[in-house]
Amino acid sequence: MQQSKKYFHLHPEAALIGIAKKRARRGGMAERLSDVTISEHDNLDAALVACAGGDRQALRGIFEREAGRLVAVAERIVRRRDLAEEVVQEAFLRIWTHAHQYRPDRGSARGWIYAIVRNRAINLLRDGRREHTVEEVEALMDKDAADEVMAAWHNLDRTSRLHECLHALDGTKRHGILMAYVGGYSHGEIAGRLCIPLGTAKSWIRRGLASLRECMA
Amino acid sequence: MTYDRKDIPAIADEYVLGLLEPQDAERLEGDMEVDAELRSAVAASRERFLPLDTGIRPAAVSDDLWTRIETALPEQKTPGHEPPIRPANDNRGGWRIAAISAMAATVVLGVGLAFSLLRTVEPVVVAVLVNEAGDVQAVVEDFGSEQAVIRMLADFEVPQEKTIQVWTLPSRETGPVSLGVINGIRSAQLAGPALPAPRSGQLYEITLEQAGGSPTGRPTGPILAKGLAKLAR
Repeated sequence: MQQSKKYFHLHPEAALIGIAKKRARRGGMAERLSDVTISEHDNLDAALVACAGGDRQALRGIFEREAGRLVAVAERIVRRRDLAEEVVQEAFLRIWTHAHQYRPDRGSARGWIYAIVRNRAINLLRDGRREHTVEEVEALMDKDAADEVMAAWHNLDRTSRLHECLHALDGTKRHGILMAYVGGYSHGEIAGRLCIPLGTAKSWIRRGLASLRECMA
Repeated sequence: MTYDRKDIPAIADEYVLGLLEPQDAERLEGDMEVDAELRSAVAASRERFLPLDTGIRPAAVSDDLWTRIETALPEQKTPGHEPPIRPANDNRGGWRIAAISAMAATVVLGVGLAFSLLRTVEPVVVAVLVNEAGDVQAVVEDFGSEQAVIRMLADFEVPQEKTIQVWTLPSRETGPVSLGVINGIRSAQLAGPALPAPRSGQLYEITLEQAGGSPTGRPTGPILAKGLAKLAR
């Protein structure tokens, strides 16, 4: 009696084997392969299809994998963690309600998901809902934004085509493009920061983007 | 609105960079639904710039952010994509929670292992394997190039005539692939078959098989623990 007790205490896998037997009775190989549902959701395309079908775990899978980066991306644009989380919260509701619209001809599932977050962040910015006084905004922008833009540039994979082609641009064009994409700056804000006329900023960015497309084609 | 076809790539880029006026951006989003060329230009532009986002250092997300999202989710209306009906005693949810909770542990263990065990070679991915109760049982470090290491972190008793076998699922098409069998309960070097480079989210599991390994080349015995890989940073 004492011996069997000891056995259970020292060998908890006996209980595991019991569980496994129960699982085996439920259907062997077929059941096992369907156990792989978790990894299925790692595939973002499949996760979006599952979301469209009402599978909340699929949305949660996307959240677990991407939310940290998505909050960071939104924060680079809206500059406040609480607003960035609000953006990501709204974006996930939109991912859920619009998942049925996703098709591969809209680009990769990841690109589609990030675009939703980016758009929410930009809209919040343009709506002026960044709840700072003008002075605070200026101060925040000067302190952090230049750093964020430069950090994004320095952290960009150096072996990537994007890095190579951005690197080939002259500094001002590159900076303007990065300020827009990374920091969510408007043409006017970019012109102001780079101390160039608005028309010049617009045409430099346009030409920079054209060179970039050509280089990456 | 119709666009001069030659302007489409430029407009798509400005849209993706957030440089269009809000009303122009809104109009473009409507036009994208009917203009395949515009849709494809926007998709291409997104992909070009995406590395600036995916390379970012992830933020620490508030604990309650998922709860806030989940409580606000409406029911899906679209028919025809019903989730599969699950048996009443389905306990996959338990596995999911276990796997998700293991992810946090993965990061900690992955960093720790990379420093303490492998000062010279870095694994490509690390997977923390948990049992159905969510307890950590083992860690797999996959170095790619047919090399992997499993560290057993719990005392399994392997009955005579049985052996523990390590599996991974490189893709659903490939199905589960054996990385090797372990003699006794010990940490072991595994030399598996040539597989694509391990990726984040890849499934690893250990099962109890007959001595010498599964006769079918697929897992047939009970799953002792499993987990999803994370990229080693």
